[in-house]
Amino acid sequence: MNTPSTSERPDGAGHTEGHGQDLSGLLARVARGDHEAFEAVYDQLAGPVYGVARKVLRDPAQSEEVAQEVMLDVWRTASRFDASRGSAAAWVMTIAHRRAVDRVRAENASVAREQKLAPGPVSGDDVHQLVEMALDRQRVRRCMGSLTTLQAEAIKLAYYGGYTYPQVAGLLGVALGTVKTRIRDGLIRMRDCMEVT
Amino acid sequence: MSIQGHELHLLTGAYAADAVTGDELAEFEKHLESCATCAEEVRGLRETAARLGMVTAIEPPPWMRDQVLAAASRTRQLPPSHGKLAALGVPRHVTPLRQRRALSRPVAVAAMSALAAAVVVLAVFQVNTRGQLQQSQAGDRGIAAVLTAPDAYIEKGSPSVGGTVTAVISQHDGEAVVTTAGMPDPGGGKVYQLWVISAAGARSAGLMSGGSTNPTSPVLADDVQPGDRLGITVEPAGGSSRPTTTPIILLSVST
Repeated sequence: MNTPSTSERPDGAGHTEGHGQDLSGLLARVARGDHEAFEAVYDQLAGPVYGVARKVLRDPAQSEEVAQEVMLDVWRTASRFDASRGSAAAWVMTIAHRRAVDRVRAENASVAREQKLAPGPVSGDDVHQLVEMALDRQRVRRCMGSLTTLQAEAIKLAYYGGYTYPQVAGLLGVALGTVKTRIRDGLIRMRDCMEVT
Repeated sequence: MSIQGHELHLLTGAYAADAVTGDELAEFEKHLESCATCAEEVRGLRETAARLGMVTAIEPPPWMRDQVLAAASRTRQLPPSHGKLAALGVPRHVTPLRQRRALSRPVAVAAMSALAAAVVVLAVFQVNTRGQLQQSQAGDRGIAAVLTAPDAYIEKGSPSVGGTVTAVISQHDGEAVVTTAGMPDPGGGKVYQLWVISAAGARSAGLMSGGSTNPTSPVLADDVQPGDRLGITVEPAGGSSRPTTTPIILLSVST
């Protein structure tokens, strides 16, 4: 049975590179039209791609559409991935996040954005990966906790909320320049915090 | 760096979070081509943002996999580009409408296959947990809920018999999911049993399988309160109503 991987075990310098098959190597094979490699990429990243779409869009149907488009983009544009510019996971997640926020901004999709996510069934095989993900979630949460309230709020609204930084400024009632710098210094702090763990 | 360049440089974070739009976006991307330090900073912050994204992972509906693989098999790939790439090699483009239609959700079929897949998942789960207290589908969903709970944290420990025990605990849900790895088979038809231990005594949360180097099937403990402890004992086949041996491990639920 095929259960999509819902976890990437980021570690050290490789950041979001996979614990299983090396994602960069897989993407190089995908660029050459290797369907088997594409399946492996799908299994490693469809969960995070769908997750980030759900986080930003909330609406399951729209998130499913976006996730499919992103995975098909990965197939189509794998030859454009350049490992010297960043990790494969970050490349795919960037495509996913951009598509999700583009959708929000195009349609201002507010349908059911407050809907709570219902977790699906889980097999014994998924548990290891879910535990890894919980560890990573714990790390992200801990690092997020090391930020100032304004930094954390600004990052959450921008990244998870899909708001532009001027919108974030409006929502938080602070100056544009302040939001700009808080998102930057907050992300820098997150980066440093997660690197040392 | 010019004053304007410095102002633009401050956008690296917002840019990495895709929070810059319009003219400013175009201006910043142009700036990136000539500002190596900005590009390097954006690269690092993108990795950070990606990790914020990775931890949101949830399992997509099973029908999506076939749908995407089928769409890929009829989609031509782009050749490598030798010209200047879009900033950081991430293409901005829109899937043609025709492709979108090909990807739209086949409602009835999707519902059927999702149901079929759920049944398979459940069947696999129950095979995995044979020999344990019977897991209902409700328990199965409860496990996923704990593992994906926003406040979930991990407690790990080494039982006296060897191996590791991992508990994922959600205080908000008052639940914990416990798995073991590398614990030896207790032998003699005995079993490992998980307990939630509070001031009121020990309450069984179910039987755990041992003798596997891989993580065992998870056991869900409910009504877990701060200050409680999770313990595992060796018990006769079928388990006991109260612990009859000294726990091989005790994990505390933080207060």
